[in-house]
Amino acid sequence: MEYLALGFVDVLNPATMFWVAAGVTIGYVLGAIPGLGKATGVAVAIPLTFYLSPVAALGMLIGIAKGSAAGSAVSAILLNTPGEPSSAPTALDGYPLARQGKAQKALKMGLFASVIGDFVSTLILIVLAAPLARYALLIGPVELTAILLFSLTFIGGLSGGSMLKGLIAAAFGIFFATIGIEGETFIPRLTFGLLELDDGISLVPMAIGMLAVAEMMIQAGNLKKLDTETEALAQSSKPEDRSVTRAEWRRCAPVIARGTLIGSLIGILPGLGASVGSFLSYGMTRRLSRTPEKFGTGMIEGVAAAESADNAVVPSSLVPLFALGIPGSVIAAILIAAFILHGLTPGPLMFQQQPRLVADVYAAMLFASLVMLIIGYTCQGLFAKIILVPMRLIIPGVLLLCCVGAYMETSSIFSIYVMLFFTAFGYLARKLDFSFVTFLIGFVIGPKLEFSFRQSIQLLDHNTVNLLHHPIAIVFLVLTAATLWWIGWWKRPQTHCAPGERGSTPETDIARNSKGGS
Amino acid sequence: MMNFTKRGLLGAALGLAMTAAGGLPPVQAADGYPSGPITMLVGYGAGGQTDLVARAAAQVMSGELGEPINVVNMPGAGGSLAAHQLLKAAPDGQTILFHSDSVVNSAPFIIERVNFKPDDFEYAGMITAYQVGLATHKDAPFDTLPEYIAWAREHPGSSYGALSPEARMYINAIAEKEGLDVNIVPLKSGGEMLNALLGRQVELAFSGGIHFRNPDELKTISALTTFRQPSAPDVATIEEDGFPLGMDSRTTLFLPKGTPRDILDKLAAALKAAETDENFVKITESANIPIMYLGVDEAYAEIDATYEKHKKILKN
Repeated sequence: MEYLALGFVDVLNPATMFWVAAGVTIGYVLGAIPGLGKATGVAVAIPLTFYLSPVAALGMLIGIAKGSAAGSAVSAILLNTPGEPSSAPTALDGYPLARQGKAQKALKMGLFASVIGDFVSTLILIVLAAPLARYALLIGPVELTAILLFSLTFIGGLSGGSMLKGLIAAAFGIFFATIGIEGETFIPRLTFGLLELDDGISLVPMAIGMLAVAEMMIQAGNLKKLDTETEALAQSSKPEDRSVTRAEWRRCAPVIARGTLIGSLIGILPGLGASVGSFLSYGMTRRLSRTPEKFGTGMIEGVAAAESADNAVVPSSLVPLFALGIPGSVIAAILIAAFILHGLTPGPLMFQQQPRLVADVYAAMLFASLVMLIIGYTCQGLFAKIILVPMRLIIPGVLLLCCVGAYMETSSIFSIYVMLFFTAFGYLARKLDFSFVTFLIGFVIGPKLEFSFRQSIQLLDHNTVNLLHHPIAIVFLVLTAATLWWIGWWKRPQTHCAPGERGSTPETDIARNSKGGS
Repeated sequence: MMNFTKRGLLGAALGLAMTAAGGLPPVQAADGYPSGPITMLVGYGAGGQTDLVARAAAQVMSGELGEPINVVNMPGAGGSLAAHQLLKAAPDGQTILFHSDSVVNSAPFIIERVNFKPDDFEYAGMITAYQVGLATHKDAPFDTLPEYIAWAREHPGSSYGALSPEARMYINAIAEKEGLDVNIVPLKSGGEMLNALLGRQVELAFSGGIHFRNPDELKTISALTTFRQPSAPDVATIEEDGFPLGMDSRTTLFLPKGTPRDILDKLAAALKAAETDENFVKITESANIPIMYLGVDEAYAEIDATYEKHKKILKN
């Protein structure tokens, strides 16, 4: 603790503060641009930090990671173009809010949820890094399979109006995820001899195509209507539409708390990532809501759920790195090199050998949360003006950004073709009212479940009885069964009474479906 | 670390290689080289082991050559995509590829669709080596490969973590010769491999060298290279233990076919400067990557020798 105080003393000098703030700002802008994610930002910035003091350098790099997680909400809300895939669920309710003239409300809620998620998760990192990491190691493939199954029971609630269409969309997501070299036998699946498909379809161009470009196509078709709408928007900005009201805070507080918790846990578990966190949180919030049918039409809770979890993943994914020296995420893997370079070798010894530097990093991380709040709050009024610009001026710019974003990751024109393919797919899906959410969840979680299931078969030596050596997995399997029972049995009478609610147990089917498809 | 995974997934596809050789613009004289900013392709994503070395090397080389070097990540199919891209470039040294030589000396034998040959490229030296090995956790009841084999024979159904086709090849070759029953657990990346070892999910795993980061928790039982590794000089190579399966890979500067020799020499001299550059040494040391510089002629010899040797190992 006394080290943390010293850490703040070290961080609160003008030079360090400047670099941390610069990192957060760069990250915020990178995050808002579709396709330019935190991984690229941090990797490119590492050589730039050679000449900085260790604290300033590490603070700046972590600032970029944190800032981009928050910035990605801006374009998701204003343009329906998530800056990073993990902000896709933010767009689901954030964009409708913006179209209703409540852009600033959505931006503010997104920002507050981001900052709270980030701040609390940083505190979790500080307080629990060492003890938690030991337990994280107990989560192997067998446990992960059970946890994923359990989480799918909640995600199922997302299938939208029609359960059948939701299931079809999820199946398509799983189908597209099977493309590429398979991880156990290394046989290429459905690549049609295309070298570019060997590593599978990348989430970034796919999400950009389906969400952003498809949206622009649809809007281009409605130009006249949108332009009149935009004119009306300019006049209808009432004060209560520009800020978060007390009633909304009350509704969102538990949502943010839950999102933060989910995000922090997902971050600590290896290999799941921010996308899983934000989708899970959004899915659970909708599942537990009294008005699940209103999600997707501009529910402020949707924004809060997605953003709090999205941002909470970043700091907590450093828990395994700090405590054990194991990178728990891509961003942690990139940071490992930067840490070592600046004299801090991640691992349990770090706390004994370099307590002062560790405390400095912690202080810089907390400071970065504050900077995020200030920068985000100052800029959101300016950002929100984008929504008042006529669509005919926005569409070309967004299309350009989409192409740049899709191209950046691989420097290959093929990614733009992938983007265009999924634009067509997304356009049809939207016109025919198929769910994007279940599609993306199928795409993100389906293959993870498949892979950890196959790992588990090997680890259990092909014998179910060996499951007895994995108590954590058993707990989650029992919980899964209990949840299914609860949904299927206990909830059925209610669902039958509610008109417009179709499909009593969408989640069971999705869970089953994901398993079957793998 | 990401690198190593993808390195395993060396993929695929046919030789656009051949088609690119004809019809290229006339070659510039080396006096004016470099005539402008150089583009350095890297066949793995930003942030991995190879990318780290590439960016550090680019910094040193651009100082030596007096022109900026732009690093462009072009991941996919274990570097094959970037290699194809390189073949489309003019052989004037303005576009270079920094990558593991495995894209030429191993990729063609792992999946039938790959057909790069040593002759398809020019080489301007090699700078670092990958310390590929078999790793386990500190408390494992074996310290060497023979001890592991004895242990695994008494414990049928033990598990082995594999993140690439080569990783499977090794355990299959050992298990077949020794009559072992080992379950192969697929892993996606170096990070996942570390988790599996530290969490005691698997008893043994194939590692691209990232396990040297955790010297207090992990140990190497066999070096899968032909040389003993700088980070673990006491560990015998797999060849010393009676399996002729050692395969070396190094980060290499590739150039399009037909690049003049004096340009290669100039680039190799710039790359050699990295060997003693303070920053470069610091960066590679921090990631436990040994610097093992080879000049132009040595690089050609290394590629030819490893191509033939790996062909023999991987084709069987």
